[in-house]
Amino acid sequence: MPNLLEVRNLSKRFSSGGGAFRKARSMHAVNGVSFDLPQSRVIGVVGESGCGKSTLARLILRLIEPSGGTVAFDGDDLLAKTPAQMRKLRARMQMVFQDPYSAIDPRYTIRRAVAEPFEVQGVTPDRSMKDEVDALLEMVGLNPGLASSYPHQISGGQKQRVGIARALALRPSLLVLDEPTASLDVSVQAQIIGLLEDLRADLGLTYLFISHDLSLVKYFCDEILVMYLGRVVEALPDTSAPARHPYTRTLMESTFEPDPKKRRLIAPLEGEVPSPFDLPPGCAFADRCPNASALCRHETPVLKAESGHSVACHHPI
Amino acid sequence: MNMLNVHNLGVAFGAVQPLSGVSFSVGKGETLGIVGESGSGKSLTAMSVMGLLPLIGGRITAGTVEFDGQDLTKLPERAYRKLRGGRIGLITQNPMTSLDPLKKIGPQVDDVAILHLGMTATQARARTEEILGTLRIPEPALICERYPHQMSGGMKQRIVIAMALAADPDVLIADEPTTALDVTVQAQIIRLLDDLVKQRNLALVLITHDMSVVAQTCDKVVVMYAGRAVEYGPVGAIFEHPRHPYTQALIACIPRGLADTARLSGIAGTVPTVMNYPKGCPFHPRCARAEPICATDPPELSINGDTGAACHFAEMPHAQPA
Amino acid sequence: MKVSGMAARSLDAFARMSIGRAFASGVGMVAGGFLVLLVLVAVFAPWIAPFDYADQNLMNANAAPAWPHLLGTDEFGRDVLSRVIYGARTSLSVSATAIGISMAAGMTLGAAAGYFGGMFERVVMTVVDLTWSFPDILLALIFVAILGPGLTSTTFAIAIAYLAQFTRLTRAQIVRLKRETFIEATINLGAKPSHILLKHLMPNAIAPVIVVGILAIGDGIVLEATLGFFGLGAQPPTPSWGAMMSSGTAQLFLSPWVIIFPGVAVAVTVIAVNLFGDELIRALDIRDRLRGA
Repeated sequence: MPNLLEVRNLSKRFSSGGGAFRKARSMHAVNGVSFDLPQSRVIGVVGESGCGKSTLARLILRLIEPSGGTVAFDGDDLLAKTPAQMRKLRARMQMVFQDPYSAIDPRYTIRRAVAEPFEVQGVTPDRSMKDEVDALLEMVGLNPGLASSYPHQISGGQKQRVGIARALALRPSLLVLDEPTASLDVSVQAQIIGLLEDLRADLGLTYLFISHDLSLVKYFCDEILVMYLGRVVEALPDTSAPARHPYTRTLMESTFEPDPKKRRLIAPLEGEVPSPFDLPPGCAFADRCPNASALCRHETPVLKAESGHSVACHHPI
Repeated sequence: MNMLNVHNLGVAFGAVQPLSGVSFSVGKGETLGIVGESGSGKSLTAMSVMGLLPLIGGRITAGTVEFDGQDLTKLPERAYRKLRGGRIGLITQNPMTSLDPLKKIGPQVDDVAILHLGMTATQARARTEEILGTLRIPEPALICERYPHQMSGGMKQRIVIAMALAADPDVLIADEPTTALDVTVQAQIIRLLDDLVKQRNLALVLITHDMSVVAQTCDKVVVMYAGRAVEYGPVGAIFEHPRHPYTQALIACIPRGLADTARLSGIAGTVPTVMNYPKGCPFHPRCARAEPICATDPPELSINGDTGAACHFAEMPHAQPA
Repeated sequence: MKVSGMAARSLDAFARMSIGRAFASGVGMVAGGFLVLLVLVAVFAPWIAPFDYADQNLMNANAAPAWPHLLGTDEFGRDVLSRVIYGARTSLSVSATAIGISMAAGMTLGAAAGYFGGMFERVVMTVVDLTWSFPDILLALIFVAILGPGLTSTTFAIAIAYLAQFTRLTRAQIVRLKRETFIEATINLGAKPSHILLKHLMPNAIAPVIVVGILAIGDGIVLEATLGFFGLGAQPPTPSWGAMMSSGTAQLFLSPWVIIFPGVAVAVTVIAVNLFGDELIRALDIRDRLRGA
């Protein structure tokens, strides 16, 4: 399968507050991330707050400028594109946002919002705009009668469907989903996930699925990238692969099963996530890792692959 | 022995009735899970037990709230204030709203023991440091000198738990205590609460929307929908033989990963708002098994041993489909 | 043209949304009703005023209020009522024009500063803040010194006096809105900056600006009256409430109506503008957005 996305060594550095009396501090929200996303696959990116997964999503779509590294979309170097070229290219790579409540202009009707992609890209659909919008709404499971409503008149789940309709209007190849169901109830989440599964099959889409919910990622995705403080610490080739990085193992053990017979024994994890501005040398997880050695506090481990399963650890499990 | 016994609780705000027919009980050393999606009324239930309804313009219109044999619905405010934060503790979702941003951590936790247990400042501080240690907060003496904004989310939540514990409560109500926290931090807090229940023989009421948390940590479960308790029972029964269609549908919504290849199914429709709870059974517009009677008659509780389901067609365990 | 079409639709939506509700309360009805009346009086002055404002009748100077001069006459025998009516026209048109210019310039500068940020934003805001540091009267005097007294100077003075406020407010709105997810979503669709500014940022930003504009008109009326009082505004025989009050001071004890009625007109107008503006803020529920100014 050809790679729809090839990310090499992607980084984003943020500085904060330098002044006359204080040196500016900097941190890497995303630090040297590399992976391939083959066509029609679903890769999940999982991690806790501050791991950089949302920043990664925006870097890939070039909504934020990277500080280093490359992103190749369908063989095309994204970072070499001019702003005008980038705008045209966006039709093929779309994003579904986390917060459906603020993702639509409150003054736009649903019809106008779903028609906007065409307006922005200067594309005239084959059918009439009204028919096209109606078809898109039906595709995401919404009644076209909703089209004249305003965002505040429809539910969160319906708003998210509208967000998906807008993203798919121009038939993109890549869909980046940034925690698309995080603010929805569990029953609505299930509807949206089901919809996304159907759409992927029908439209041959490729997904990059960002989430903090490991069980959701395991259900929905083919491969999983685990991020911690800006780095990919493990890349699992399939969802049944065992954890080889201590952090991944902690993550898995912290994710409960909906089955009282499968209760977990929670081992205490000491320490807090260090501030990204004051990272200690070596492995960022060393402070909290039960297996940490002197080497770990000295040298940052690099992602090493072993039969498709990569892990960045000096003492993988 | 049941520390907290809520029976047929009904709550109204003006002409609107957000809660009706809510019943549950929890005893010492037990964890009760109240689970429901947004708008189910679970937080309102917590507020009712704490006697905080008048603050937001509501009132209890039916039922009883028995704490250690005493009916709290008849309690005057002055007596309620002694219980609140004392023998009945409350932890909410956002620790930032429970902590005074302008005061150091130490005095905030000390105040609880001073107020509820009549300790001196020195005694209270010793107790505070001890409790912080129990909650695995490193260097308690140092933390007491810090301000809330200097702490992480997980740390703040532990401090709020410390404040609840300082008064030596019999009942602890935790309203979505881990929803705003990272997964690994959540696991730590859940484990902490588990330990506390066992070590101090607490009665814990854990309110959450997360069924997996319920499976991990609760002994008994109450499922709420549209202001009603639609099912209750021991946690094993709820997950293995759910009797109410909503409970069954809710469990089917949870992504299970590899083990279950069945497709995730949602529940068609949307949760009704307080303004338009459906007549009859509140779940009937979304229920696959609804019959005409469901639209007209609110179902009674169908009790079977220690489980109960508010459904005209509640399943009996021996009639479970494969 | 596209921009005016969009502006028309925005204003229409605005009108449907908020102005209706602002009139709904008792205060809103009275204050708003008065303002509507005032505008009508100003527009239809030639048909409403019983006399021409320049008609002198020295035989009947300083006459007390009586038929047919319901508000009396001034030192030249001119009908006070007619001069107050025409004065409304002067005050409103000068103030509205000035605020209109100020709003247009302020919104453009503020939107550009907020959207593009960086050095451009800093330069624009510094320059604009400089105008803010001048007292209004001083600004007016500077213009009078350059352009001579009259309505043109007054208009410019008022416009510059309020430029900073509109610029800051618009910029604050744009900066706030830029962070909203729907803006990111629109960028994600491949929209050009002009599309984002005109179709999303501006329509969502104008509500507080329009309300401040209405309130500023009240202030502008006072400023115009102040300048008129010093003889720097409308030149005779054009009636101006301020000028009327100025010339009325000489006969304060003999014929107080000459100063009282224009004074009352200014006071009541400004009170009505402020009350209505408050109702509008409440109806639009944008009190929190006005802190950005």
